[in-house]
Amino acid sequence: MRRSRIVAAALSALALLAVAASPSSAETPKSGGHLNLMQREDLSQGFAVHETSTIATSFPSLPCFNNLIVFDQTKRAETVENLVGELAEKWSWQDNYRNLVFFLRKNVKWHDGQPFTSKDVKFTFDMLREAPDAPAKLRINPRKDWYTNVEAIEAADPYTVVFRLKRPQPGLLVMLASGYTPIYAAHVNPAAYRTGCIGTGPFKMKEWRKGEFVDYVKNPDYFMKGRPYLDSLRYVVIKERGTRTAALQAGQLDVSFPGETTKTAAEQLKKAVPGLVITPVAQAVSDNIIMNTKKPPFDNLKVRLAVSYAIDRKALISAVHQGGAVPGASQQPKPYGVWGLLDKDLIALPGYGKVEDMKAQARKLLAEAGITPQHPLKVEMSTRAIAMYVDLASFVINELKQVGIEASLKQVETAQWHPMATRGEYQIGANLTGLGVDEPDANYYENYACGSPRNYSQYCSEEVMKLIEQQSQELNPQKRLALVSTLQKKVEADAARPLLDWRLDYFTVWPHVKGMVPHDNIYNFGRMADVWRDK
Amino acid sequence: MKTYIAQRLGIGLLTLLGMSIVIFGMLRLAPGDIVDILFSTGGYVNPVERLAIEKELGLDRPVWVQYVEWMRQILTGDLGKSYRYDLPAWEIIRPLIPVTLELAILSLIVSVALGVPLGVISAVRQDTPLDYVLRVFSLAGLSMPSFWLGMVIILGLVAWIGWIPPVTYVRPSENFWLHAVQFALPSLAVGYRSSALIMRITRSSLLEVMREDYIRTARAKGQSGSVVIWRHALQNAILPVVTVIGIEFAFLIGGLVVTETVFNLPGLARFLVEAILWRDYPIVQNLVMFIAIVVIVSNLVVDMLYGFLDPRVRYGH
Amino acid sequence: MATRPLGVEAAPVSLGLRRPGAWTVLARFCRKKPLGAIGGVLMVVMFLTAVFANQLATHDPIATDAGQSLARPGPDHWLGSDHLGRDIYSRVVHGARVSLVVGLASTLLGSVFGGIIGLLSGYVGGKTDLITQRVMDILQGLPLLVLALVMSAALGPSIPNVVLAISIPIIPRAARVIRASVLSIREMQYVEAARAVGLRHVRIAFRHVLPNTMGPFIVLCTAQLGSAILVEAALSFLGLGVPEPYPSWGRMLSVSAAEYAQKAPWLVLFPGLAISLAVFGSNLLGDALRDTLDPRLRGA
Repeated sequence: MRRSRIVAAALSALALLAVAASPSSAETPKSGGHLNLMQREDLSQGFAVHETSTIATSFPSLPCFNNLIVFDQTKRAETVENLVGELAEKWSWQDNYRNLVFFLRKNVKWHDGQPFTSKDVKFTFDMLREAPDAPAKLRINPRKDWYTNVEAIEAADPYTVVFRLKRPQPGLLVMLASGYTPIYAAHVNPAAYRTGCIGTGPFKMKEWRKGEFVDYVKNPDYFMKGRPYLDSLRYVVIKERGTRTAALQAGQLDVSFPGETTKTAAEQLKKAVPGLVITPVAQAVSDNIIMNTKKPPFDNLKVRLAVSYAIDRKALISAVHQGGAVPGASQQPKPYGVWGLLDKDLIALPGYGKVEDMKAQARKLLAEAGITPQHPLKVEMSTRAIAMYVDLASFVINELKQVGIEASLKQVETAQWHPMATRGEYQIGANLTGLGVDEPDANYYENYACGSPRNYSQYCSEEVMKLIEQQSQELNPQKRLALVSTLQKKVEADAARPLLDWRLDYFTVWPHVKGMVPHDNIYNFGRMADVWRDK
Repeated sequence: MKTYIAQRLGIGLLTLLGMSIVIFGMLRLAPGDIVDILFSTGGYVNPVERLAIEKELGLDRPVWVQYVEWMRQILTGDLGKSYRYDLPAWEIIRPLIPVTLELAILSLIVSVALGVPLGVISAVRQDTPLDYVLRVFSLAGLSMPSFWLGMVIILGLVAWIGWIPPVTYVRPSENFWLHAVQFALPSLAVGYRSSALIMRITRSSLLEVMREDYIRTARAKGQSGSVVIWRHALQNAILPVVTVIGIEFAFLIGGLVVTETVFNLPGLARFLVEAILWRDYPIVQNLVMFIAIVVIVSNLVVDMLYGFLDPRVRYGH
Repeated sequence: MATRPLGVEAAPVSLGLRRPGAWTVLARFCRKKPLGAIGGVLMVVMFLTAVFANQLATHDPIATDAGQSLARPGPDHWLGSDHLGRDIYSRVVHGARVSLVVGLASTLLGSVFGGIIGLLSGYVGGKTDLITQRVMDILQGLPLLVLALVMSAALGPSIPNVVLAISIPIIPRAARVIRASVLSIREMQYVEAARAVGLRHVRIAFRHVLPNTMGPFIVLCTAQLGSAILVEAALSFLGLGVPEPYPSWGRMLSVSAAEYAQKAPWLVLFPGLAISLAVFGSNLLGDALRDTLDPRLRGA
């Protein structure tokens, strides 16, 4: 009796040992090699991530920088559980989510040899929150609102940083994991990031040939031993869409640009090169309609709701994206985002039911507002003069036509779009919004809060503001989820910015590219330290 | 002769001055400026920060002050700083010049190599089916949008043989053959288009000259047909052709914009479009002036060449 | 440069010689210049397509239809459909209207305006001529597409603005051609005779000189029409031309077309063919007209 038990224990111990010893993935990473990545346009402001809000800057800058924390680059889901430390070894919330303490990694060097300390963290975030005694100022600061709740940042010793908040805010943690929150060097003028890059990241910026490419070489002093695997990277700038796809197909590019591969393009690529690895992921980019709530006719809730009812979400996904998108409310839907509404709540929203019923409801609402086929509503729909936007707008115009709203399309050049939208010089617009991180605080303060410059609809609801503040301070996750669900439903019911769908990206890599795991958010993956070449 | 050159240069300078005012004015007319674009990459607008950046870039000064400042900079050889890249404009423009220049020259060579022989054949076989075929072929090149031709070529290549010319610019020093391949297709595409006009002019001027009395005299004297053509006729027909080559060079720049975009070549033309979209005033202004200077100088050279080739024409009287 | 006066073989209108009937002229033209006749036919087809676009189209050119995305050419969609399910044939047909309107309007606008400038400049001569020529040089020094680009960016995407943007580079080219024509006619005997008789300059300019520049003017217009259509296509391709929802051949070729071209080559093929045929026709016609109306002008 005792012998068999010993044998059994020994066998199970052996089995455990075998499991522990074998690598979790099927292959072992190889060192060395070069990869060509796609860059859809030349970098907007070089590597000055804190001065831009575009993936055209953030994606090619990721290899150069490190954050305090990031979402695990080898896992797809962006959740609190998947946070890993980069420049921070350990972190913890204290005093009931009022203070956030980071214990920083030691022996980390900037690319120019200088040591990394808490000074750099304090420098970066004081600059971002525009602290009165901040040593530097950003020329353009799009994410200042992310840090309004930060009272002070303390760097008591070189390897400890404390974020003191005015009130509890559990959501702040994930906002620091975004690709939009790298750490700048305190000894470098922030303006210098527009032309070059001094970071602590796995790759050093070797050359940026304007309009052509960005070259990176391996950082031999990277704090993670054995990383990065690759020797060099090149981000090739190709503006012409057809040429871009052809280059990927012909193998001159190894990796596609996040958010740039539609379902149809992916099918075409797969047909031409069956070996390509295509992973459909969500982008955290939504299609939505903005309406000027301060001027007629869209100051009338009924008219706005009618617009939301008139647009058949399923048809839109089919027509504009050929199925490469998913329906959702103002937070990215499950399973791509953690805050998404339950299915039963989603289909109760305008635009999700039976087509005829929805259109009839829209016409009824319009009639109540005095708009009938005899007195149709004529409006001007503005959109950016880019194919993505124009396709969306064309479809929406067609939908609106069926309920009695005649919209003419006005294309606005890039330089004009934000000033026009911010100043309210439009009636209705077809818009795309990217969320830097799947966190309601980042979303609602930016896009729905009273007076926020990116609240293009100029929507202001006291009730909603209360809800936003409430969920921001709610420490119980279930309670917070409930609050955010209420918030999503309320915002769709006010129809100031009806959400149409969330885009999918069919991220494509050649089979020899290993370890490149796309996330359900185009802004937060691409550090490239864990990527290797099998050939 | 000298006074003629001096006169032409003087007029050229005046023209350049006028052009500078036109391009300066039109750019300022375009709605939106670099500050708007910077904010749009940030995704928001803030009036206070706007003013600060305007001041930093000198855009808050009165328009005429900015113009005078620009002129002053040019005279001191300073081409200003790019608003977008925060670097000296010359540093950014310099690597682009050889690309566009090479593409333009190669295209010109293709157009002459294609246009002149076709024009001669067409003229000699006037009104025969061969003439018609050649004229249709040539005109087809002129009628196709250059970007369409380029797009069809690239898409066709990747669909049929799974290969396209390199999308990153390969310098001749890095890999000569790859570089040659990279430039072959776009030069052919652009050259084919330009060849149409050259072919037409070659044909018509040759036809005109062939009717001349002295040709008929030479023929009557018994000189063989082809000698007559190649020696007398072509010699005199060259003059208008040379003029047209000069004109075509200027037209090429426009055609290069789309070609450089489709074939992803980092040249001046493509960069100019980018700079216009970014309202990068220093770059656009200086690049356009550069192109204008090239055009004026090439016109002058062509006219001088004309005078050199045709002893009947004399200048300066 | 050859100093032979231009238009010497065209019968001066003012002398009132009897001209052959219109149909005879047309028949003779078709016989002598078959290529030109083909060009003429192409232009007429395009013109009729533009005028009768509504009747000729099978679908609403801007109506999207998700179920028909990227449909192959067939009985439902003669030339296939694009990624939004819009019928390519109908869009090509309506695109003719846009291209023709923009092309003709900008050509006429630029040519007439430039022609008047050239007429007056050439006729008056002297300092006015010199200054006008310099101004024209300035406008002409900039390549056509670049000028149109900057103007388009300056004015914003809309049809009137595109017409204006394309017409401006045409002005100096028209002025130069008309001026050259005027300069030669001015010295001719019947004009001197008119002056000797004591007719006022304005009258001479408009009644005697102008009609004889018609030849070069028509040639110029047809030549510029082709180039105007191409510039509009290029501008639309770059995103700065005719805006949505008007179907424009050039814009049909940009972005989306290139992306789906391997799955649906008809997206790229037919709009490009349409542009090429239109410009081809206009060039053929222009060439033939030039040969007929002004043989001496062949070289310029």
